[in-house]
Amino acid sequence: MSKYILPVFIFAVIIAAFIKKVPVYDNFVKGSKESISLILSIFPYICAVLIAVELFSLSGLNAYLAKIMSPLLGALGIPDELCELLIIRPLSGNGSLAILEDIYKKYGADAYISRCASVIVGASETVFYVGTVYFSTTKVKKLRYAIPISLIACYIGAIVACLLCRIM
Amino acid sequence: MNTVFAIMILASLIMLVVVSPESAFSIMISGASNALTLAFTLIAIYAIWLSILSLMEGIGLSKALNKLFRPLTKKLFKGESDLALEYITLNFSANLLGMGGAATPLGIKAMECMQDGSEKATDNMILFMVINSTSIQLIPATIIGLRSAAGSNAPSDIILPSLLATLISTVTGVILAKICSKLRRAKKHKEVELPKQPLFAQVRK
Repeated sequence: MSKYILPVFIFAVIIAAFIKKVPVYDNFVKGSKESISLILSIFPYICAVLIAVELFSLSGLNAYLAKIMSPLLGALGIPDELCELLIIRPLSGNGSLAILEDIYKKYGADAYISRCASVIVGASETVFYVGTVYFSTTKVKKLRYAIPISLIACYIGAIVACLLCRIM
Repeated sequence: MNTVFAIMILASLIMLVVVSPESAFSIMISGASNALTLAFTLIAIYAIWLSILSLMEGIGLSKALNKLFRPLTKKLFKGESDLALEYITLNFSANLLGMGGAATPLGIKAMECMQDGSEKATDNMILFMVINSTSIQLIPATIIGLRSAAGSNAPSDIILPSLLATLISTVTGVILAKICSKLRRAKKHKEVELPKQPLFAQVRK
């Protein structure tokens, strides 16, 4: 069902544009042009963040931090196996999907751990990525309380996710 | 951001010097080339979404959506322009439907409309970022896809818990952001009111 949404939606928009005499081709040219300038302005931010993320996960610091934090997270009802995922989740979308796949492989896709991990990834976002990219074209340099609150909200979501997977 | 970034790189480098110092530089390059690959993919995705978006603006669909959600967005984002509210609505709709590729350029446009020219993020900008970073997706399609690929018997049984967890985290985020902006405003009020008092006393005399 959901696979039809996108093509039907795009079809409807183009048909409506055709009827209302909105120039479809011109708009596609304009959109593509905008896309390039948008990427040019957000690329430096993505690049800086991804260098740090790659260092963080490949240096083993991520796994090390996960080990340190596991007793604390355990007290909140989050299984040890998910610590690494929780640390990488706000930093890297691709990184967390890779860890998610590892968890599936290790425990099976229907295990409690895997379901928890799926809900955690599905119910949160790459906080640092959102923080850098969304503000990249504005003059804003100080995000004030934006990142701490986003992180707290995501981690509360993670705790709830583990709880829900146990009862549902 | 600068401090977090520096600490992250420094700590990772210390760790690497102990484990395998020769790979440090190649890891940094692989991070940068990940960014390059991502950027190329994003150019393609945004090219399509930005085109459809400008068509949606052309046929008046984005205005109609804005009208529909305005009671809610106007309450959440007080004092924002119509254009900002329109982008916010479109960003939320794209997020709800799981169209991440469309949500990001819209989010960037919404932020541009909301900025007040200063270097500090406004309360509304922060609220917007918090809502965006708690993911308000209705159906986590990517993860369901991954689960079924991994051989799950019921890949979509995570929809309900995901929805609930997202709902709770988003509501928590909104409440926390609102509390923070209230606290700051209260502090500002005090600062403004303080010099007023002696002035008032003088007039009385």
